[in-house]
Amino acid sequence: MATTTVEAVPVTMANLKGRVDPDWCPGCGDFGVLAAYQKALVELRIQPHQVVTISGIGCSSNLPGFIHTYGMHTLHGRSLAVATGVKLANHHLHVVVTGGDGDGFGIGGNHFVHTMRRNVDLLYIVMDNQIYGLTTGQTSPTSRVGMKTKSMPFGNIEEPVNPMALALAAGATFVARGISSEQKHLTELLKQGLMHKGFAFVDVFSPCVTYNHDNTYQWFRPRVKKLEDDPGYDPSNWYAAMEKAQMWGEEIPIGRFFQRTGLPSLHGNEPILADDVPLAHRDPRIAPDLARQFVEELM
Amino acid sequence: MKQLIKGNEAIVKSAILAGCRAFYGYPITPASEIAEAAALYLPRAGGVFLQAESEVAAINMLYGAAAAGVRALTASSGPGISLMQEGISYLAGAELPCVIADIMRGGPGLGNIAPEQGDYNQVVKGGGHGNYRTLVLAPDSVQEMADLTRLAFDLADEYRNPVVVLADGYTGQMMEPVEFPAAAMLPRRPAWAVDGTAATRRNLITSIYLEPDQLEAHVRKLETKYRRAEQQAVRFESHRTEDAEIVLVGYGIVARILKAVVEQARAQGLAVGLLRPITLYPFPAAELRRLSRQALAFLVVEMSTGQMVEDVRLALEGRRPVEFYGRCGGNVPSAEEILRWVRERADHYWPAFAPEEMADA
Ligand SMILES: Cc1ncc(C[n+]2csc(CCOP(=O)(O)OP(=O)(O)O)c2C)c(N)n1
Ligand code: SF4
Repeated sequence: MATTTVEAVPVTMANLKGRVDPDWCPGCGDFGVLAAYQKALVELRIQPHQVVTISGIGCSSNLPGFIHTYGMHTLHGRSLAVATGVKLANHHLHVVVTGGDGDGFGIGGNHFVHTMRRNVDLLYIVMDNQIYGLTTGQTSPTSRVGMKTKSMPFGNIEEPVNPMALALAAGATFVARGISSEQKHLTELLKQGLMHKGFAFVDVFSPCVTYNHDNTYQWFRPRVKKLEDDPGYDPSNWYAAMEKAQMWGEEIPIGRFFQRTGLPSLHGNEPILADDVPLAHRDPRIAPDLARQFVEELM
Repeated sequence: MKQLIKGNEAIVKSAILAGCRAFYGYPITPASEIAEAAALYLPRAGGVFLQAESEVAAINMLYGAAAAGVRALTASSGPGISLMQEGISYLAGAELPCVIADIMRGGPGLGNIAPEQGDYNQVVKGGGHGNYRTLVLAPDSVQEMADLTRLAFDLADEYRNPVVVLADGYTGQMMEPVEFPAAAMLPRRPAWAVDGTAATRRNLITSIYLEPDQLEAHVRKLETKYRRAEQQAVRFESHRTEDAEIVLVGYGIVARILKAVVEQARAQGLAVGLLRPITLYPFPAAELRRLSRQALAFLVVEMSTGQMVEDVRLALEGRRPVEFYGRCGGNVPSAEEILRWVRERADHYWPAFAPEEMADA
């Protein structure tokens, strides 16, 4: 990610508080994600003005309002496309995208794949609650087979998307999964994601206590197993990561599945940005000679 | 037997009785209940429900269902309808019938989930590309949510064109008694569909015509249908317009409020009537022109900053003054505030005729 400069004012949890208080239901998993994200910024001493938090639409996508960084609340499913525009306009910003599973894997599914393929240098945090929260409880792309919701009253008949496998297949260079109740572990993953140069994807189990009565904290607790507890696990091994990504049920791995370093990101490959001056900070004027050349040149 | 239900639910029940056997949609407030009701009732009627991954997918699933000869429905609101526009243009171009319910919310952008009428332009004028129109029906009650949905399926088949039921969040959410037809309807199998029978094996559904002359001929054919609709499909409700000097114009939930305004204004001695367009396209332009022979001014009220009012002006071609009062952002105008405005305008045009109490008001 972008380089971090020395802090001008101390970055604390208090001064990372947003102007509005979260409107999430008491007990919503998203509180834990917000806290871990703020802690990650504090521990990395990243100044609020160096970060832009971009979201789509959903309960989880309300997050940019609750944190003191630059914020953008954009279109349902389009946050990654907006983020690509922001990153190319000012690649010195840390770009953090937050949203839900519906926003990211449903309506935003194509942008998810293509932003990973391009290795856009950003951190994408999905608050994966296996349900549509904001629209009051419909099936989501990560809802399990059989799950009953308002839009699938007789039970879901569709196989869910596997975000980890999808990210690995699409070429994400950092792929991790956390759970909102494991604060230290999640903060660590978000820090790694923030420092990763390239597309960092962190899928976070963030229970919707109001509409998802299947995938609760109690359901996850005995199942999640940290990859970090296995000394033999090698996150540079894509095949091992893909194998872990297939696990679900009695044992669900969390942690850093995969990381590949040294690959150029989209802005790193952009010849225009080779001088490292952000587009937004350049002098937009062009020399009269050059302008004339364009006009006169034929394709 | 009358049943007390929500407007959104009435759409689904009516659609099923009209032979609709497929619903593809994506949740969005305040239209989600339509999808939820479809999920519940369609399977029982032998139909399919699928929650699409987006509105883009949903409208294209309708494209497929319609091409295969199945009556299909989707429902959404502002942002979702915007996403469907490309598909609607293709459906119209390929001459495929389908019904789309738009339960309008506040815009632009994410706006809010309160009722508005800001989708008029994108729905009535066709937010997609090319020379096409959608037929648009605007219910003002839960009963009409049912009746016009049924009509929408018939018009869609008759004109082989998408038909939109355009309502607002208020009409979608409110509960009223509804009477459904006693018998369900069985639509005929369309001869043009790709329905897997030997008889239809040559059928091709497309909207591409590479040769300019071919495309022009195709577009002219569509145009002829729209001209026919303008002659035959116009619907409106007139309320106390016979002797009206001032004609209020409003559709959907606004018209309900305007009816109250008409009564109150009449009680105060103002000759006020209401014209409620039920079809927004085709627009009751001829009726407006007819009324202009007797009415002296047309006052248009919308829950927007003024969209339908342009069609009123186009219809009247400058014959009479047209004025506009609008609320937006999810604010529903009250009968009192509209009445105040109506009296103010009446006073402006005919100070001599203003009722007595206006003098001290
Ligand atoms: C184009 C469009 N379609 C639908 C909606 C309605 N909508 C808002 S958020 C949302 C899904 C919410 O689920 P998710 O993204 O998983 O986030 P959560 O609320 O669960 O955090 C939907 C369907 C919208 N805002 N825009
Ligand atoms: S509805 Fe669910 S996701 Fe939304 S705030 Fe409440 S608990 Fe969280």
